[in-house]
Amino acid sequence: MRCGDFKETYIKDEEIFQSLFVKFWLCLFFVFLIVFPFLANQYMLYIANMIGFAVIGAIGLNLLTGFTGQISLGHAAFIGIGGYTSAILVTRLGISFWLSIPVAGLMAAAAGMVIGIPSLRVKGLYLCIATLAAQFIFEFVFVHWESVTNGITGINVPPPAIAGFEFKTEKSFYWITLIFSILAVIYAKNLVRSRMGRAFMAIRDRDLSAEIIGINLFRYKLSAFAISSFYAGVAGALWISYLKVITPEHFPLLLSVEYLAMIIVGGLGSILGAIFGGIFMTLVPELLNFLSGIVKAFMPGQEAILEPLKNVIFGMLIILFLIFEPRGLAEIWNRVKNFFRLWPFSY
Amino acid sequence: MKKVFILFIGCVLCLGALGAGAAMAEENPTICAVHCFTGRFAFAGIHGAAGMKDAIDMKNEEGGINGKKIVYHWEDGEYKNDVGIAAFKRMYAKHEPHMMYGQSTGMTKALAPEIKDRYKVLYSSYSFAEMAANPEDNPYLFIAGPTYADMFGVLLKYIAEKDPGANIAFFYSDTEFGREPIPAGRKMCKEMGLNLVAEEIAKVGGVDVTTQVLDMKRKKAEYCIFQGFVTTPITTVMKQAKDYGLDCQFMGTFWSTEKHLLDQLGPLADEYMGVTAYSFYYQDENPMIKKIRAWNQKHHSDKADYRSQAYMQNFMAGLLFIRALENADELGGFTPENLVKGFQSIKDYDVGGLTPPVTIENNSIPVGRVVRGNSKTGQFDPVSDWIRLK
Repeated sequence: MRCGDFKETYIKDEEIFQSLFVKFWLCLFFVFLIVFPFLANQYMLYIANMIGFAVIGAIGLNLLTGFTGQISLGHAAFIGIGGYTSAILVTRLGISFWLSIPVAGLMAAAAGMVIGIPSLRVKGLYLCIATLAAQFIFEFVFVHWESVTNGITGINVPPPAIAGFEFKTEKSFYWITLIFSILAVIYAKNLVRSRMGRAFMAIRDRDLSAEIIGINLFRYKLSAFAISSFYAGVAGALWISYLKVITPEHFPLLLSVEYLAMIIVGGLGSILGAIFGGIFMTLVPELLNFLSGIVKAFMPGQEAILEPLKNVIFGMLIILFLIFEPRGLAEIWNRVKNFFRLWPFSY
Repeated sequence: MKKVFILFIGCVLCLGALGAGAAMAEENPTICAVHCFTGRFAFAGIHGAAGMKDAIDMKNEEGGINGKKIVYHWEDGEYKNDVGIAAFKRMYAKHEPHMMYGQSTGMTKALAPEIKDRYKVLYSSYSFAEMAANPEDNPYLFIAGPTYADMFGVLLKYIAEKDPGANIAFFYSDTEFGREPIPAGRKMCKEMGLNLVAEEIAKVGGVDVTTQVLDMKRKKAEYCIFQGFVTTPITTVMKQAKDYGLDCQFMGTFWSTEKHLLDQLGPLADEYMGVTAYSFYYQDENPMIKKIRAWNQKHHSDKADYRSQAYMQNFMAGLLFIRALENADELGGFTPENLVKGFQSIKDYDVGGLTPPVTIENNSIPVGRVVRGNSKTGQFDPVSDWIRLK
């Protein structure tokens, strides 16, 4: 009896949707994504949008850190550049939001390429510090280039619109987030299967060997920075259009650290990992909020202990995931999938 | 693989839990608040949450609004914009409140357009930023006290009367909180004939302030007003000023006019002045403070020794919410329009000495009082009467 998943050609092996089973569940997932806004309340849609932005940003960082091995602590700055570019184009120059999105991505990509230059000479912790410097430089620029960024006061951004229809509710913005998230995933998934993706991974595994086999390190490292920052820029532009306001305080160093945590918890070097990371880091604190609300109802007056405990539990969950599955949530998912793939004949 | 099933079922249940509690418009007047119970502003949030709850509980104990008990829900916003906004939306979706309270300027700024166009709830927050005192642009937003610019105004007015033409320095943090009232401060210095000789900027929590102190000495600053700090680097600046022989009167706005700063300053506390918007917990000659103390003794005896100014601010916000509800009820119901009208019509409202009788102007209360630290008692003593601007 045929049991399991067999591939008989390399083309089959490279397919994104490898079996009927995967296609079926993916279709079901898409149906869920389409039906979701009609069933969910404002709050759930707010979280869904936030997950979308996190996923786009995390995929970008995973392409750089997880696939190319270039650690970056400047991701928040690139998100900020995208956000500010879009806000300035829309409010000052009257350019449409839709056009501002690719421009925001390109601006962030340009900044990313400049910041990525040190990656040609330094790596590991040293590169981490170089990108950290970029984070501080851009934070300074956001605050002090007042004629452009409006300084600490920030810029109020109008909601996106098409033919008079404004995307100002969580529900309407959900469709924008969903489309951009899907595009981000599809592009990244294809990129890592391409020559460029393989070059990224070769650089990650051993840059010297990669160069010996003919990979142009200069080109591919900067490309990784550019693509990663492009994703960050798009995520930033979407995020601020959703929030309808941008201030320098939206892009602190902590945001860069959160994105790093996302891809580590989700799974380095995996597109699915970035998606899981984005979901985990956005959804789990909300679940803990919900649970702490229930506990609070049973233990009135104990808020001073219960509220901080929520953060402790979140931290513990991250540590436990890393201890029990260092390859992240994506690996847990793979194990679950493998179980069902052979079910009921798992052994 | 049982574990996998358990994990899967757990995830499904949790997701279901998130969606639970569909929107329920509560018939009773409802107030929802986001307090920063954790995070770097928790020192204020913990007391603040208690202040608002106590004001509401007191009213409910007295019978509520025409017999309707006020429902109050709150959540922790961790002093993070995203978390705070999520909590706002979660509570709005669940309770559809009539009034909401936020944790910061950032959160207020992010929500202001939606509050105006969509949520239409009477809204206040921990922030004293000017944007919430603009009824034309933001009719639903208000400040339960003076704006930061008003606080600068109170201090500058006090200085101008006491020492006309004095040299002033502004010492502020490189944050929105720090920079917000500075343009208004510059303008007021000019109008009041004071010389603004220096503007020093430092990081919140920064310890290396020598350059700034020496600059103030070179420019002969006689008064220095801090903005955007809670404790650090105020203590360091004052200690270094002493070391370098800078003879300057240091002053602070609301968040740096707190007992914990005096405790840190030790003997230097006598040389520190501030502006406050509310009476202190120890000023129990005021009937409202007496009432608050008795309430705390009865309900939270472990915390009855001291309640901070954040408690008073939130208590005051609670009183204003309640007053607006009472007025709205008289106008025919708790509709957004009635609540705004009910709030804006508050005039000469006696709050038992927590502040002078309240009259709302531009959705704020432009009143403050100058106080001086006392190292012996660890308290602030009033050095001026309540000063009303505008």
